[in-house]
Amino acid sequence: MVYAGLGIAAVLCAILAIRATRLLSAALWLAGVSALVSILLYELGARQVAVIELSVGAGLVTVLFVFAISIAGDDALGERTALPRWLAAGAVGALVILLVGMALPVDDATAEAAGGSVQAALWDQRALDVLIQIVLIFTGVLCLLGLLAETRPLVFAPPAARSVARQDALSAGREQVEPVREPALEEVR
Amino acid sequence: MSTLEIMLVSAFALVGAGLYGLLITRNLIKVVIALQIMVKGALVALVAAGQASDQLALGQSLAMTVIVADTVVAVIGLAFAVQVKRVRGTLDLRALAELRG
Amino acid sequence: MADWLIGLTIGLPWIGALAVWLAGDRRAEMQHRLAVVFSVAAGAAALLLLPSYGDAPALSIEVGSVFGTLTFVPDGLGVFLAAVATVVGSLAVIFSVDYMRGEASLGRYYALVLLFIGAMVGLALSGSLFLLFVFWEITALCSYALIAFYNDDPKAVAGGLRALIITQFGGLGLLAGALIAYAYFGDTQISTFLARADTLPESMLALMAFGALAAAAAKSAQVPFHTWLPGAMEAPTPVSALIHAATMVNAGVYLLARFYPAFEGVAGWTTAVILVGLLSAFLAALMALVAIDLKRVLAYSTISQLGYMVYAVGVGGVFASQFHLLSHAVFKALLFLAAGAVIHSVGTRDMRQMGGLRRELPFIRTVFVIGALALAGLPLLNGFWSKELVLEDGLHHGPVWAYAGMLLAAGITALYTFRMVWLVFYGERRGAGHVHAPGLAMKLATGILAAGTLTSWLLAGGFGKMLAESLPFHDLHAPAALDLYETIVTAPATYLALAVIALGLAAWWWRDRLAGARDALAPLARAAEADFGFEALNRRIVTATAAAAESLRATQTGLLNWNVLGIVGGLVIVLAVLALGA
Repeated sequence: MVYAGLGIAAVLCAILAIRATRLLSAALWLAGVSALVSILLYELGARQVAVIELSVGAGLVTVLFVFAISIAGDDALGERTALPRWLAAGAVGALVILLVGMALPVDDATAEAAGGSVQAALWDQRALDVLIQIVLIFTGVLCLLGLLAETRPLVFAPPAARSVARQDALSAGREQVEPVREPALEEVR
Repeated sequence: MSTLEIMLVSAFALVGAGLYGLLITRNLIKVVIALQIMVKGALVALVAAGQASDQLALGQSLAMTVIVADTVVAVIGLAFAVQVKRVRGTLDLRALAELRG
Repeated sequence: MADWLIGLTIGLPWIGALAVWLAGDRRAEMQHRLAVVFSVAAGAAALLLLPSYGDAPALSIEVGSVFGTLTFVPDGLGVFLAAVATVVGSLAVIFSVDYMRGEASLGRYYALVLLFIGAMVGLALSGSLFLLFVFWEITALCSYALIAFYNDDPKAVAGGLRALIITQFGGLGLLAGALIAYAYFGDTQISTFLARADTLPESMLALMAFGALAAAAAKSAQVPFHTWLPGAMEAPTPVSALIHAATMVNAGVYLLARFYPAFEGVAGWTTAVILVGLLSAFLAALMALVAIDLKRVLAYSTISQLGYMVYAVGVGGVFASQFHLLSHAVFKALLFLAAGAVIHSVGTRDMRQMGGLRRELPFIRTVFVIGALALAGLPLLNGFWSKELVLEDGLHHGPVWAYAGMLLAAGITALYTFRMVWLVFYGERRGAGHVHAPGLAMKLATGILAAGTLTSWLLAGGFGKMLAESLPFHDLHAPAALDLYETIVTAPATYLALAVIALGLAAWWWRDRLAGARDALAPLARAAEADFGFEALNRRIVTATAAAAESLRATQTGLLNWNVLGIVGGLVIVLAVLALGA
């Protein structure tokens, strides 16, 4: 019962985050999703992960979002969506219905009764995962340094003019694709 | 409906909401938000499966790896968005689409 | 032992390709040397492989259950084609040392030629349908890249693209066949397919049979897919000799010969094969008669001779067709290389600008005439023995109307051959300009091939034995060599054919007196020049493909949302298929 309620609430917050017009509101709804998911994880019994999710998801990532939005600006881009809403909703709806239809009903999962603490699982069984996490973090830091090192805006042609120029080059090259009848044989090969 | 089934449905619904966001949004930062939502759904599915098969420890360690990965993605995505805004002046995906045709 | 040799025969050219590319275009001499060394080594490895023929897989590579086991089977059909590919390949590379001297992008040229040689060997020796498809595609890629080698010339690029598009439809048919075999038998081995082909449902087998015929016709430039071959003459001449005369175009005939036991029972298939061979042989001979570009004549001649091989398979003479393949590979490569020497010396491909070259190019004239006599089918040269064998099999096992057509085509072959030799080497010099002598490498390569033309028919007995012993599904009975020669020499059909050939030669000699007949046939000549309308058909296929590709460009919006929609849509389809299947 609790689970169902938490689940529904999380999904509602997610939908509100998507539909929010201002980026800041979207980030706050995302924080809400994080919080609800972390409570859900706690209720399932995963205490450590719930705490981590709360601090990282609802805390760190939200702060990052707020920073980024304040730097990048919060201009609302208007109501027009990239794809028609009915198309998106239809595709996603079909996907979710198919997934649910295939996954349910679930037979009783055979338990391997592996108890043990999370530390044991993490450091003994999934040591490779830890290594991968370290590599990921390292890569992320490098990417960040590379991305943020650019201080001056790059100079380039505006997108509209460039695509027009490209169209001309393409149509000039298009003549070469059509096969040519054998003309007079003046060349040597 | 057992716990696992409820959790799976919520996980699918979260992933679906994230995908819906990816499909309709035009803002680069909203794209990052949508990705985050999808990952939350994956987390729920992982931990629920662990709880149902009595392997919570394994489920939690997997979930931890996923959190690390998705945080790194969020960080890089946001830095990227900030830079794009600085260089191109807009976060609108339509204006940024250079791989056309 | 055999597995090592197979690995070397395929691997040495590929390593050579890498070495030539790494040597860099600035060290052209080193590139020439490396190419020659690796191709000759591959030829030696292939020749060493010949005695180890057998019908069991010599080299097997397990790659899991999806693609089956990748096997190489050195049976008679395969090792012989591999030997032809590598030996003629090495001779073409030796020829290229002189022909391509001073050209730019030499590394690209040699790398592609060596890559092609390795892939052709792989195609011949592969025992798995899937592996056959992979090597088939690699040869098609190399062929396209080499036709379009002079990529600043729009004719060359257009010719290359056209060859690629038309032969690719065949490749798709081959893949479909491999998938069907896998679906029904759970195994992609060719031997499995041949053993159990009659357990397939009728319609499926017929589909595969006609699909294989279409694939072979496209690859071997048979009617109605033949128009890409004349356009492929934009390639450098050693490439034309290797790929478009001696090896790749034989892949289609090889495919038909290999799968003959599986498909011969399909209703109407053998008749279709005979018809394709007959039409190609006859129409291409007519088109060769009116062509004025030296390489074009040779291209049409190739189509025509391939028609003979296809016809032979259709009447059930698999040995005859492969024997003619051997002879044709040798004398056609000789003709192309000699023609290349002529073109290189004179500076033009137009036969109207040639003439009287027997004085300036005596050696080339000799080897060219030897090749031409073999093409026409004069006695003692390899072309004579193999063509007579084909016609014999056709008379005894095939319909008479087809035999009559092939006989007539033999006469026309003699006619256009003689015309070609006359226009180039005899008569008076018509063009202006300086003629410079061919280099040593050119003479060496053509000399070796001329010696081969005079002697390769001696291999008939051994070759027949090899085929009969190592092809368990084909019903081949190979006569001993002397019996074979005796049969050919004493058969009345041989003398009939010789008479027709003599008529052909005489028709050219008395061409002034036959001027009246020639004017009467003028509409036919015009139709022949226009490729009997097939050119228009093929051009429409190519433009349709290009237009379809252009229109698909609209799906590349560059917008993230559309890409994600594509992902979601694909996922929905996959899940729906799985849900329905379960």
